[in-house]
Amino acid sequence: MSPTTEIRILVGRELRRGVRSTKGIAIGVLTLLGAFVAALACVQIERTDRLAAEATSTATYVELKRAAIEHATGDAALAAYIASVPSSLLVFLKITVWFLPLLVALLGFDAVTGDLQNRGVRFWTVRVRRSSYLVGKFLGLWWLVSLVTFVIDLVADVVAITRGYATFAEALGWGLRFWLVAVVIAAAWASIATFVSASYRTPMLSLLTTFAVFFVLWLFGLGGFLARVRDTVAGGVGTMARGMIWYEYLYPNAYDTMLVSPSGERAAIAVAILLGFSAALTAAGAVLFARRDL
Amino acid sequence: MKDVACRLERVTKRFGPKTAVDGVTLSIAKGSAYGLIGPNGAGKTTTFSMLAGYLRPTEGAVEVLGLKPDAVDRLRARLGVLPQDALLPASESVGDFLVHMARLQNIPQLKVRESVELALEEVDGKGWWSQRCGSLSHGMAKRIALAQAFLGEPELVLLDEPTAGLDPKVAFETRQLILAKKGRCTIVVSSHNLQELEEICDAAAILDRGRVVASGSMTDLTAANEEVRIKVAPGTSRGSQQGQVPVHKLRELPLIKSVDLDEERLEIVVYFERKSADAETVIGLVLWELLTNKVRISGVSKGRGLEQRMMDLT
Repeated sequence: MSPTTEIRILVGRELRRGVRSTKGIAIGVLTLLGAFVAALACVQIERTDRLAAEATSTATYVELKRAAIEHATGDAALAAYIASVPSSLLVFLKITVWFLPLLVALLGFDAVTGDLQNRGVRFWTVRVRRSSYLVGKFLGLWWLVSLVTFVIDLVADVVAITRGYATFAEALGWGLRFWLVAVVIAAAWASIATFVSASYRTPMLSLLTTFAVFFVLWLFGLGGFLARVRDTVAGGVGTMARGMIWYEYLYPNAYDTMLVSPSGERAAIAVAILLGFSAALTAAGAVLFARRDL
Repeated sequence: MKDVACRLERVTKRFGPKTAVDGVTLSIAKGSAYGLIGPNGAGKTTTFSMLAGYLRPTEGAVEVLGLKPDAVDRLRARLGVLPQDALLPASESVGDFLVHMARLQNIPQLKVRESVELALEEVDGKGWWSQRCGSLSHGMAKRIALAQAFLGEPELVLLDEPTAGLDPKVAFETRQLILAKKGRCTIVVSSHNLQELEEICDAAAILDRGRVVASGSMTDLTAANEEVRIKVAPGTSRGSQQGQVPVHKLRELPLIKSVDLDEERLEIVVYFERKSADAETVIGLVLWELLTNKVRISGVSKGRGLEQRMMDLT
């Protein structure tokens, strides 16, 4: 049996388990409720925004947005590109990406450590290569999170369409793009959570370490963002359009602007970095897992 | 090496400063039922875990069916393992769990259900397919774990404490199941239950403080081919009168090397030359003499029993 077949069987099991387990169902329901409430809030924000801008039509509103973004970033291409995105969808992308680490941590902290603690892993490792087991856990977690974010995006799209702030085509195009952005970023978080989970025997330690690592990465992101705001204030508009500060690259969520960039090259670089990082960390985790005592 | 199912060559396993297994060398023949015996902390489970590939030896070599235990792909479906304290996935149904196990063993898709149903039937769990593993009693869970170990008829099955924590009835049924599998595959059992091992195994190794202190066939280990033990009724003493044990007469019997009477334990131990007689012949001769002297007999056994042997060695 090839490693691919082993992984396929394991991922199928992980997904089934994820949607059937009490934890999976509880997180799914809470996420959906949260998504619905957030979608309504976003629509309300967009409505208030339009009224405040006194935009009589969507075209006028888009033009006002384009000008505002260009003024803020100094990047005309980016401004033209994202101005047509319904604000509710854009805000929703930010919310989804912001909550990704939390979702990944809650769904994935015990992915491996749970099996190590109750030694259930021993049923599996006489039948599958340990590397396949770990890769299966990573992919299972990644795809489960991707499935949850897909449902969240779907809620946002439906709300935006029904309120008339996005056409079906816009919602489909941008909705899909934003979902893919979340999927790519989720890969990085999922690989970190799986790596940490495979390093402990106690789920609580795994949870705390996962949160600690995610928090440190968030601090890098926050630090970089604040430094860029400071530079913008000092150097004027336009400096914001420059690349990220080096340590911001350590924070997966910071790639969201690169991933929605009109430049295909920038988006491709972000995809390569995030997926490359995920693959490298999962491979390292698999090597360590293969060497450890179970 | 062709007829060897498992081999450990000067295997040592250390956990930090603690040496759990110290230079163990063992060879387990294909088709046999082999026991790993020893008190707590003797290194049974550690040895077992190295055979199953859960632990890596610090020193030495381990071979399972001629391969390293981590050669999962080549050992797939040839090796079945019952880990001692592994929990079944609580949220999964028994059927789903076993189906996953069967699929990972490369059992053809069309035969998966049939194999799982057969495995469940063997452990008397026919109606458990849709029960959640988390809702099973300890005995039921143990049987499901046993079903996964024997799933697909593997060549070698490693069983760690297969009847630990089971009530006597379920333990008996579990032993019967293992006995039914005996001869169809190589079975390695690690257990505290010495009577169980005596019943199941053809050969065994006794471990103490991480070392092998004795190994060989069960007959050799229990000295069943060189001594018999006869329990006599309370109040019986040494002497030549009726109702007393005529030790001198017994010593003069043919084939007998020596005879001892332990008056505290009320036990006659008869040693004989293993090459010139078998235990059954010796039992016949000795009992005839004792019954002629009207000695009241409580029990007869071949050898000293595994328990006594282990107590002597550890």
